[in-house]
Amino acid sequence: MLARIAHELYWLGRNLARAEFTARAVDGVFRAELQSASETGPGVRFGWNGLLAMLGGNAGGGGSEGGGGAPLRREQALERLTLDADRPDSMLACVERSREGARTVRDVISAEMWEAINATTLTLRRDAAASWRLPGGAYQASQYVKQRTALIWGIAERAMLRDEAKRFLDAGGLIEVADMVLRMLRVALPPGDEAHADGNAFALLQAVGGFHAYLRAVTAPPNAQPVARFLLFERAYPDSVAACVDSLHEAFAAADASPADSKPVLRVSRLAADLEFQRRALPDGAELLGICERVQQELARVDQDVADRYFAGAVGDVARSSSLAMSGGRNPLAAA
Amino acid sequence: MPPETTVPPIDAYHPSAPFYDELFEPDGVPRRAAAPLVAELERIGADGLAEAGRRRDAAFLQQGITFETTGEEGVGHSRERPFPLDLVPRVLSGEEWRHIKRGLAQRIRALNHFVDDVYHGREIVREGIVPWTLVASRSHFARAVHGIRPPGGVYCHVAGCDLVRHSDGSWKVIEDNVRTPSGISYVIENRAAMTQLVPQLFASYRVRPVDHYPQLLLRALRSVAPSADSEATVVVWTPGPLNSAYFEHAFLARQMGVELVEASDLVVRDDVLYMRTTRGLVRVHAVYRRLDDDFVDPLEFRPDSLLGVPGLVRAYRAGSVAIANAFGTGVADDKAIYHYVPEMVRFYLGEEPLLENVTTYLLSDPEVREEVLARVGELVVKPTGESGGKGVCIGPHATEQELEEVTAAVRAQPEAWIAQEVVRLSTVPTAGHDGVLAPRHVDLRPFAVFGERIDIVPGGLTRVALNEGSMIVNSSRGGGSKDTWVLEDGEDVADRAGPPIADTAPPALPDLRYGTWSGQQQQQQQQART
Amino acid sequence: MHFSIRYLTEYRYPSPVTDNLNALRVRPATTSTQRCDEFHARIDPEARVSRHLDYFGTEVLEFGIPTGHESLTIDVRARVVTSDPPSPPSGGWEELASSAYREAAGEFLLPWQDQPQVPGLDDLYASLATASSPEAALSLLCELIPDTFAYRPGTTYVGSTIADLLEAGAGVCQDFVHLALVLLRRRGIAARYVSGYLWAAPQDGGVDSLEVDTHAWLEALLPGTGGRGEPVWVGADPTNRILANETHVKIGHGRYYADVPPVKGVYRGSQSSTLAAAVTMSRLDPAAGARA
Repeated sequence: MLARIAHELYWLGRNLARAEFTARAVDGVFRAELQSASETGPGVRFGWNGLLAMLGGNAGGGGSEGGGGAPLRREQALERLTLDADRPDSMLACVERSREGARTVRDVISAEMWEAINATTLTLRRDAAASWRLPGGAYQASQYVKQRTALIWGIAERAMLRDEAKRFLDAGGLIEVADMVLRMLRVALPPGDEAHADGNAFALLQAVGGFHAYLRAVTAPPNAQPVARFLLFERAYPDSVAACVDSLHEAFAAADASPADSKPVLRVSRLAADLEFQRRALPDGAELLGICERVQQELARVDQDVADRYFAGAVGDVARSSSLAMSGGRNPLAAA
Repeated sequence: MPPETTVPPIDAYHPSAPFYDELFEPDGVPRRAAAPLVAELERIGADGLAEAGRRRDAAFLQQGITFETTGEEGVGHSRERPFPLDLVPRVLSGEEWRHIKRGLAQRIRALNHFVDDVYHGREIVREGIVPWTLVASRSHFARAVHGIRPPGGVYCHVAGCDLVRHSDGSWKVIEDNVRTPSGISYVIENRAAMTQLVPQLFASYRVRPVDHYPQLLLRALRSVAPSADSEATVVVWTPGPLNSAYFEHAFLARQMGVELVEASDLVVRDDVLYMRTTRGLVRVHAVYRRLDDDFVDPLEFRPDSLLGVPGLVRAYRAGSVAIANAFGTGVADDKAIYHYVPEMVRFYLGEEPLLENVTTYLLSDPEVREEVLARVGELVVKPTGESGGKGVCIGPHATEQELEEVTAAVRAQPEAWIAQEVVRLSTVPTAGHDGVLAPRHVDLRPFAVFGERIDIVPGGLTRVALNEGSMIVNSSRGGGSKDTWVLEDGEDVADRAGPPIADTAPPALPDLRYGTWSGQQQQQQQQART
Repeated sequence: MHFSIRYLTEYRYPSPVTDNLNALRVRPATTSTQRCDEFHARIDPEARVSRHLDYFGTEVLEFGIPTGHESLTIDVRARVVTSDPPSPPSGGWEELASSAYREAAGEFLLPWQDQPQVPGLDDLYASLATASSPEAALSLLCELIPDTFAYRPGTTYVGSTIADLLEAGAGVCQDFVHLALVLLRRRGIAARYVSGYLWAAPQDGGVDSLEVDTHAWLEALLPGTGGRGEPVWVGADPTNRILANETHVKIGHGRYYADVPPVKGVYRGSQSSTLAAAVTMSRLDPAAGARA
């Protein structure tokens, strides 16, 4: 398929997943933050500033209100994360970008999926201007985005051909989910020296969305350590990092013309093996932040490999077409 | 005040003299071919038509069958609207259609000869039929493709000539389009919508289908593609989603099952055209391009443009890729060249033209120019290089100021303008928002595909000026469209139920097994005796 | 005269560029007063060069370098023999209307629509209209333009219009020629742009090799006298106040510069590139040796 189309699909997947996980995170923090810390002491640190740092890499956003020092008020943070169209990391911005991408590939993703994305964007825009400005509105918006993204992915499963196009869409979604989970872990987990402070991690589970799955799969109480291990290594849970990496490998292996010598396929395959090894080798209670950081860096390299191998021409052009230069003949000069 | 419950849409309908009405005789009696249609419209009633209209708009919006109106305000003011399809079809008899079809095929063949001649021998110039300076001064005359002959000698693979019917019932060609005529997607979508919205109208007719156009186009493109041993790779090249006809570009690519590419997807290496895919470069053999010559290759054509695919003309010259339509065809659909098309038919084909031109005046001749300007209020003045109705001044409808402006423009650059006698476009009953019918002016753009032979899809796009009295049918300026029916000859409307189904009833649908507890109590039923 | 010409162009790019496609119009034409004996073009990085004649009959060399590279060298060598043209015919103004003249003139009579209407043009045109014949008009123009405008490189650029020249009051040969074309065509004299090389030796001679540059002049179609004789294309060089002679080596002609640019190219990559171009002309015939 056309490199440009594959690129659009990959980013459509990434943007949809980003919108969904931003919504989940807002949901989780919103609930946790309304109540006081649990009696056993919080196992994870998860507040608005952490969330902003996780998404934008910069809590203050360069404005005078934040700057890393003064904590943001809840309304500001909510606004910024959900419906602020000017912030590239807001839910609305992610959904808008999905729509832009989906528009170019609407023939590939099926009319139903396009209509679902289109309708989501239009509702979000309209209600953002109206009812969702009210207190609690941003929370409703995040609920809405969670539902709609689930619907959109469901349509993709049922309506799209299982071909290259679907693989690239999936790959984008998977790499983004893994990345978002890792980001949340890195923000929420207490650093190494506090590792023994194993308080409960409800908020984290709430924010990632694996609350019920965790309760069914793990017998340990939902404290920071077992929750982090679950989110990293539990391959039976589809949004865990390990499961995402497995599926990512599957997607690239199926999309690639010759997976045996494909850089992204090989890198993802090594990463999957490494995660499985760590799961077995790391003792309970071992520090996990380091591994989170390493896996995240490795995923960034995968992203680069993917761009090089599959989108090379198309992506380069889009970025550089403005600098396509013209070498004109020089002005003929008379010698007299 | 509430309207009556059913307004008969036809009763109030009067063909407006002196125009030719496509469905009614001047005395208000339906034409023979239209009689069953008129009867069916009466049954539906105005409310029924209005209701169907609302369903149509909702469906078009949801499916994105829209176009953007830019109008005079410019690009910034465009907005998406459902393409306005009027639910009353236009009906053409098989006999009428055969005449049009033969005339168009003849005309397109002549135009194709002309393009070839202009870039090679210039026979028609040497014979003194068309002046060379006129050809050379056309803005679409493409020096870059001088001497290049595409495979099969076909330049105008896709053509859409605009026809109108004069008040005497005769057909005239008002404009040729052999660059990138658009509208075929609406022909196909209109038919699909009509069969869903008002199926009852089709009941007493056998209407010839139109949905095979994409396959005709694909076959034609494959037939000219220079791929000796393998199946040709064909692509549709769009300027991008911002183009007003993007819907159609995507539609055609989808219907043909080929890639829809943009300039950044294409690259020329060693005089061969490739597209960039996830698996590397893939050779392209034929391009159906939907953008003007100016933007296809920055090394040729417009020197100031960096758009397009550098080296494409090189690949074309080397014969490694077929381009549809070929570069440089714009010289043939220029409005000043139009004047000479009947002569071309005689010169190249040795035949008499079957379809007439509208009387046209070239304004580069000072005498003709002064005569025209003296009665500019009675004529239509058009710029030669534009399409889509841009810059057209219709004398009888223009204001004093508009007439002065166009007069000044003509004097400043006479060779860039032509003048034409006003054509009395025929009318077809057209439903308003309330479903009541009124006569509105129409033209007709049939679509032809030229590969190994010329195929023309039955009917074409009937464009209708939705405003009363208006004769501007362009969709960008308040025009709508109608489904165009070409009727099968012969009276027998065969049974359309299809052959009877054999006696093989499928098994009953499976039911839930052991799903719920069923009660097994017997109710005691004893009728009370009286 | 007998020349050897070397036209060397070197582009350097700060970072590798790809898909570098170029079209060269550098080969001396063969005409009634000029013969090109030898011609070579060498491209580095090596590339396959394809040739064809364009619409105006100029030979075009085309090549493309798809893979990354940081420099491009175009090395062109030619040998050419020239002679002085016969003296120009001096048909009168009335001959311009004859059908023979108009047929020979073709599109070179058409006004140049892309050029803006400039008020200052009318005065120049008025001076031109006083000439006694088309031939006199051509000679007059060769004085009028350099009298009115200064020759100053760097004032205008490759895409400058006549309006730019009039506004700046200065320009280079390309601008002078464009202005002359507009004036001549307006007066009904067919005129075309000529690209080429000029042997610009100092008047006292004594030189047999020169660093020059590509040059531009024009050709006007002058009518024959008394209805006899074909109209003839006559070269004129408004930059140097002369009619073209054996020191002018023609490459080709067109309606204006954009029809015959010596080098035209597109590539992908960094926009900033450095260019070094040099044209070296050497005299090969004995006359030069004797004078040296």
